[in-house]
Amino acid sequence: MSETVTRNPKLAWREIDGETVIISPEDSHVHELNETASLVWKHAEGQTLDQLAQRISAEYEVSRETARADLEELLTALGEKQLVFVAPDSKD
Amino acid sequence: MHLGKMAGSVHPVQPLDGCLPLQISIGSVPLSLFIRERALFEPASRRYREFTKDSAEAFPIVLKQPETQTHETGEFSYLLDDAQLILRSRGAEFHGVRHEFALDSLLRILLTMVLLPQRGFLLHGATVVRDGRAYVFFGRSGAGKSTVASLSPQGSVLTDEISLLRYSNGSWQAHGTPFWGEFRAAGINQMFPVAGLYLLKQADHERVELLSMKQALRALLPCVLFFASEKRAHETLLRTLMRLIAELPCHRLYFRRNSEFWRVIAA
Repeated sequence: MSETVTRNPKLAWREIDGETVIISPEDSHVHELNETASLVWKHAEGQTLDQLAQRISAEYEVSRETARADLEELLTALGEKQLVFVAPDSKD
Repeated sequence: MHLGKMAGSVHPVQPLDGCLPLQISIGSVPLSLFIRERALFEPASRRYREFTKDSAEAFPIVLKQPETQTHETGEFSYLLDDAQLILRSRGAEFHGVRHEFALDSLLRILLTMVLLPQRGFLLHGATVVRDGRAYVFFGRSGAGKSTVASLSPQGSVLTDEISLLRYSNGSWQAHGTPFWGEFRAAGINQMFPVAGLYLLKQADHERVELLSMKQALRALLPCVLFFASEKRAHETLLRTLMRLIAELPCHRLYFRRNSEFWRVIAA
């Protein structure tokens, strides 16, 4: 079973110099993502973990396994901050 | 909420139950304050005397009696201690305003919302005019805004506390505001093209460092007065700030408590 990533739809965000600045409107908290996290954020919407891992693997020339492990770690961190949600793919 | 509705809409000003408005304009935003209580009207008239301006299209603000309670929320509402701002597309109501300071606070909040769709915003910053151009020195409380203002020639300071920036006629303009900190001056109701923005950093030397766009956005965001909790409003603010920092240089200014900082700015 694969999992699908969605951005928290309540957030306002902009990309700047290849990195992402996210504002949580409810508390005006500002989050900043580095280049790798920004790449994931930019392409995350509706993508499966496998698809995102493939993109990271190609972009940074790392193995799929490494990309997948890094991605899961990143999504856990982003999930803890309520920036993204990871849910089982409904098509499965 | 449709903030865009407020931009360019017409608000005919008429006496409200025999109450004549105090008409002012801040940041080229005409406002009609309907204040029934004499005890509040007079100090408000004094406070905003430099910003008095008649307009046939002013945005009406009706001050309701202090004991008035309401559970209405309008398109935007904000509760500040006992006072409440309710913003609608055709005007605003201030409830429970007991003194001029509460009125001043609600006016600031209202302006942040009215300016938003007009590419304008309020910033914790002092604005000083030099050679016909505005220099905006911003930072959080204690950063040195009033210090910079006090080191600048009399009559050149547009505000020592809350700067108003707005894009109009093809360029960014800094407007004088009646919102002051330690100076408590009446203000100057004029606007000047913005030369640059300077994030204040007290140090033992003077130096100017150009910030990248990301650094500039990171510096500006915590200093913008903003009270909306809607995604769309934040997106509009981000868009405005991105445009600002793409078009204007934003620096970090290291400075001592003397006027030598102008030397590095001029360089």
